Formats: sequence, structure tokens, C-alpha cells
Amino acid sequence: MRALLLTLFGITLASADPLTFDTTPLGEKDRPIILRTYVPDPGLDPAVFPNHGKASKSPKYSPNSGRDTKGEYGMLKVIPAAIAVNHGPALSYVWDTTECRLLYAWQGGFLDLYPYWGEKNRGGRRSFDYGARLVGNLFYLAKPIKRERPTFIGYDLSDKGVLTFRYKLGDKEYTEKIIPSDKQYSFISYLDEDKLEYKGDLISKHQGFDRNLKIKSATAKAGEQVFGAYGCIACHSTDGSNGHGPSLKGLAGSTRDIEGGEPVLADAAYLTESIKVPNAKTAKGFPPGYMPPYQLKDKEIESLVLYIQSLAK
Amino acid sequence: MKHSLLFALFAAPLVASPYKVEDIKFPAEVPPEVGAIDFAPDGTLFAVLRRGDVMRAKPATDPANWKWELFATGFHNGCGIDAVSRDKVRVTQMADFTEATDTDNDGTADQYRIFAAGWGLSGNYHETNTIAEDGKGGYYIAIGTASHNGPTAEHTLGEYSKFGRRGRNFASVKWRGCTLHCDSEGNLTPFCFGFRMHNGIHQDSSGNLWCGDNQGDWRATTPLYYLEKGNFYGHPSALVWDEKWPTDKDPLRTYREDLDAYNKHRTWPSVQIPHKEMNRSAGEPYEIPGDFPHFPGQMLLPDNNSKRITRIMLEKVNGKFQGACTHFLNGNGLRSGNHRIRFSPDHQQIYVGQTVRGWGKEAEGLQRITPTGEEPFDITAFNITPRGFRLTFNRELATALTEKDLKFKSFTYQSKWTYGSPQENKADNEIKSLKPLDTKTIEVTLAGFKPGRIYQLDLGKLKSKDGMEIQNRLFYYTANQLP
Repeated sequence: MRALLLTLFGITLASADPLTFDTTPLGEKDRPIILRTYVPDPGLDPAVFPNHGKASKSPKYSPNSGRDTKGEYGMLKVIPAAIAVNHGPALSYVWDTTECRLLYAWQGGFLDLYPYWGEKNRGGRRSFDYGARLVGNLFYLAKPIKRERPTFIGYDLSDKGVLTFRYKLGDKEYTEKIIPSDKQYSFISYLDEDKLEYKGDLISKHQGFDRNLKIKSATAKAGEQVFGAYGCIACHSTDGSNGHGPSLKGLAGSTRDIEGGEPVLADAAYLTESIKVPNAKTAKGFPPGYMPPYQLKDKEIESLVLYIQSLAK
Repeated sequence: MKHSLLFALFAAPLVASPYKVEDIKFPAEVPPEVGAIDFAPDGTLFAVLRRGDVMRAKPATDPANWKWELFATGFHNGCGIDAVSRDKVRVTQMADFTEATDTDNDGTADQYRIFAAGWGLSGNYHETNTIAEDGKGGYYIAIGTASHNGPTAEHTLGEYSKFGRRGRNFASVKWRGCTLHCDSEGNLTPFCFGFRMHNGIHQDSSGNLWCGDNQGDWRATTPLYYLEKGNFYGHPSALVWDEKWPTDKDPLRTYREDLDAYNKHRTWPSVQIPHKEMNRSAGEPYEIPGDFPHFPGQMLLPDNNSKRITRIMLEKVNGKFQGACTHFLNGNGLRSGNHRIRFSPDHQQIYVGQTVRGWGKEAEGLQRITPTGEEPFDITAFNITPRGFRLTFNRELATALTEKDLKFKSFTYQSKWTYGSPQENKADNEIKSLKPLDTKTIEVTLAGFKPGRIYQLDLGKLKSKDGMEIQNRLFYYTANQLP
């Protein structure tokens, strides 16, 4: 998708696609996207950060009086200098340039940058809460290790943009590469030439930033809003074109082939189940475990179903 | 010159505006949040966008038909860029200074290397950095502060200082609020201290280093600073990263309580630029090349928070820079968000990079400014004398000026912990004498003329002998020194 030749309003773009206003960008399995941003700390052991500085709470400051006022500034659970990489729903990971190691990995989505990037027309960062949110199922968290202080050198990209990180421990240079495997809760890493397949378990589920849409009654229009707010289009097209997940065009009311099961009718019950428990049935031709279970409110789910049904024709 | 003359003959509009301002379009849906721009030696323009992409294009005449290519990606809020060649850029992002190279000549960078690192990043949203080339293969790097409108992370990049964390804009991690020197090998050393947010730094053709800053705490109004090694430029938080400052002393508290000591320690701005009237938030200062048709050798200072670019006329008095400011461009199709400036390789056009995202109403993009004709009628030299000023116009005046045509006032500013400071000690400075030196130059002597004040000149609706109306009627001269 990112390699398409775009012609937009007469402007030709001859290379891979740049980032857009979409706050939930998604790469491809063999063509990742790379984001440097304030990635969340999803619950790492503080001992994973031996080479970081340690901040503390600070007295609140009043710019009006020039003096301290009641209360304290808290701290944000973000990692300042990490690199976030996404291979589509197959794998996302965060590699830190200070500790020079993989910090965590997840599947089923990437990051929701809405708190940092805001809406297209307003910008609007969330003042004390701008860390990107994870989307997907977290299955790997780094554990503390004892080693000397590393030095980050940089990274190289393959023809398709797959990263090989380079860093030093003392005078010795090391490389590390992390790529998706075909299995759930799994990735493959290469530390220099040593290949390791990591297989983990679900640690936590994440669905991005809660947009708090305040829907009064379920309608197809509200469903379109939910669809936009949660970046569903990153995987599900509305025009029949291929994506990471099934297109929504013509989906409602059709008969769906299911991986390892009987075909089912895509009625309201099936659509509702597919949103609430996305891995209960996997549509044929799509990998299992990709879609994270979004904890949507009932009215949001009902609205989404109505929206999908409005795309039946 | 030839180019602009032809333009004037064949394309000049009936109502002459001195500049054509065009909107250079990025591909639709690409957020045009321009962190920084630079021309490569082959004339390719590179723009680093704040979400992470570096785009490049050969400038086209049609502003809506540029063939943009994605050259590199994955930068965090890159706000400084050096286009080393068509295949290599260096970008200051939040955490480091990274070089991205296209080694296999396929049009996109495939090798990313740390060029320099060592400053801290607290996790605050405000900590952007920018560069100026030092002319020897190295750079000066302006390391921005954090804002109290956002927190820090628990685990910071670099050492954390609780005193540096104090105040409105703060410098809680290493070298925030400082200017660093980076040699051609990427080795960093602190150069000078005490900046609030010097979002733009520039070395002029004579090797002088300049930056602006943003009116706010410890910034009475928008300043233009001349940078020298070891100096303190007035925003206290960064002093925690100056080895000369005692480690057990809270700089913010110290200077909040003792403005006299503060005034002795700090280096004052070369030019103080009234915030409402001229420039609310300085971007990158930039010297106008000698072969640009208008105001060559003077300095531009984009306003990040208004649709304006300031023009600055500098001079050296008693060995120190000071000078006057007025508008270069005020409105006329210019967007707000102005913070980066580059001249086209032929020096006949100005490119302005714009972004404010997350700070007020959005103003994002890239614009191109082209002179439509001859230099507009204006004051082109504003010089101080022991008893007043010598003003030089670029055209002959229609009639000899009288006292009624000029009004001088003056005032002072005291920077302190407040967000900006009012104009104080206001006085009218009566014209004691007005003497034409020739048909373009006059000398005025003023009553109560003293150093340490900012002088405001309001001009009447002057006309040139050939019928042009004066472009600017408001000027401010910062008289730190009298000759």
C-alpha cells in the first residue's frame, strides 16, 4: 500500500507513501513503518532502564505568582528515545536507543497517535496525557539484564525497509533484527547471526485512545464516526479493496467462509461477535489473532453494525 | 537582478504589492507541518515534517505541482535539517542528531547513523532542537526547553536536575536551554546558556552567530541575540547545565529574588522587538544575501505566531551589535507559523517553513516569497549617533522632512519571571534638530537621548520623489550603547 504511485491533486509522489493525518498508521508485514515518538511504557520493570535518568515529582509552579503552588506535577509513562516499528497487524515492537534493546512487542495493531497528533484540523495535543496508546495484544516485555552501558550507532534498512539495529558494548559492535513470525504472540530475532524465535503469551490488550464519542442512539452515521475514530480503515476498506482485514463493502448479509469452520451468515449477531470477540471466528484468507478486541460501548458497537449493514450493497 | 527586472516589466500587477506569496503544496493528506527546510547543493529542497518524514523535491515554478518524494522517515519532531547532498541529510530530532543516507541510490535513505548525541530528553512535548552550520563542517545546535504545560517522563534520556525542572519553561535534562557546538566529527560541547526557546539559529556570512527567542518567562519581549561562547542569555533554568553555576543553587529562585544580579550576569539582546507590534515569537534569523534585490545584507526574523516577517538593520556600536527593526512583510498572503527561512539557490526567492501544531490555531506549510519589482520605498539604514539617529531612505524624498513627519518615543523592558514584561519608563523624545545630509538621508538629535532604552519611531505618510508611498511607518531601535 505504501509503495503505490500516488497522484493526488496533480501532485505526483514517486516513492513510498508518507505519513498522513491518520493517527493510527499501519505498515505491511514485509514493509514496516518506523516512528520515533513518545511511546508508552506498558508496565516495564523500572530496572529495565539502568541507563536512563530518573525524574521525580516536582512542585506545581504558578506562572502568575512566579512561585510554587499546591500540588505536584506527576510524570508521564512514556519512553523518550525509543523507536517504534510496525509490520502491520503481524508485529509491532519498541526498540530503545538508550538501552539498545527490544523493550516490548505486540500484535494486532500499532500505535494510536491521537493524544499526540490530535485531529486533522485542530492539532490539539492532550496536555498532560500525550503519550501514544498501544493498539493490539501485548505479548513481550523486556526483563532487566546486567551489562555495560551500550552506545547506539544507528540502523540500516533492507530494500523493503526492515531494520537492522547497530550498537556497541565496549568496543564490540552488535546488530539486532526483529521480524514477524507466522505464529501468534511470536517474533523472530537475530542477534548478530543468532536466530531466536520468541513465543510468548498474552500480557494485556490495548485498543488505542478512548475517543469518548457520546453517542445518544445507535445509527449508521454514528457508526461511521466510530469507524473513523478508531482507525478501523487501516485494515478494513469500505470500497471492496483488499487490506489486512476483510472489506466492509458487501459484507453484511453475505455468507462468509471461516478458517477451520462452517460458513456463516454475516448477520447482526456475527458482526457484533466479530467486533467484540474478533478471534472467535477468523475470516478465510486472513491470519488469526490480528484484530484487537476493542472495548467499545454497546451503542458504539450497535452503530458500527448499522454502518456495516449500510455498506451491504 | 535581471530576473526581477523582467518580472517587474511584464508581470507587475496594477496595484503594486512588493511581494508575491505562493503556497507550495505538499501531497494531499500529508500534514505539512514543516519542522525545517534546506537546499542540497544540487538545488533539491528538503523538508522535514514533524510526524517524521523527510520529503524532497526540485522546486517547480508552479507551486501546486511539485514532484515530492519521500526520502527518509522515522524522525521525532525534526526541527533542524542540513541537506548535505541529494542523497544525505542530517536531522536534529528530539533525542539526537541523525544522518540518513541513500547508499544504494534508489531514492530513499537506507542507512541511519547517529551523527551526534548527548543532550537529554525529558519526555516533554516542547523539547525540539535546531541547527546552524558553523562553516567548518560542524554545527551550532539550539536545544529547546520543556514547557510546564506538559510533564516529563519517569525515565529520562540523560541526567535529570530537580532545579532545572523548576519554573514555566524548564531545563530538567542535560543541556536543555543551551546552545551546543558540534564539530564535524559530531563531538558536542556547550557553547552558551540561558535560552527559553531559541527556535532558530543562524550564522551569517561574516561568521556571526544569531538566534531569536520567544517572548515569555524571562523574556520581556521578542529578542534577537548575538551569541558568544560562555555567555548567559537570561533564561535561568539552563544555568544548572553551566559548570560555573553552583550545583546546590536554584537559579530560578536566585534570580527571581535578585534582578540586579540577574541583569549583571546576563547578556542583553542586540535587538528587542516589541511583541505585539512586530514579532510575537521569533523563528530562525536569516541574513538576506547580497544579491537578493531587496534589503541585501539585512536580517529577516520570521514570526511564528503572526503573519509577519521582521526586517532587522544591525550595526556595531562600541564593538557590540545593536539595531532597528520593522516589518519585512506583514500579511499580504503570508500565513502564520513562520519559523524557517531559506533563500532559493539563485537568491531571488525566499522559502518560509511554517508550523505551530499544538500551539493555538494551526498554521502549517511552506510558502515562497518573490519580489514583484524594485525595493519598496523604506528606511534602509537606521544608525545611532551620539545625540540621536541618522536615517537613510532608499529613494529621494518628495519633500524635505520636518519635525511633524517623525515622532520619537522611548521605553525600557525588564525581563523577569513573568510571561513577558510591559514597556516601562516611557518618555517622549522631542526632536531638537533635523538636518538633511542629502536628498535621502537625515540626521535627528533628540531630547533626553540616553543608552539602555528602546526608541520608537513613528513616521508620517511619506512619499518619495518618484511617487511611492513609504512601506513602513513604525520602527524600533535598541540603543544598548551610544557611540
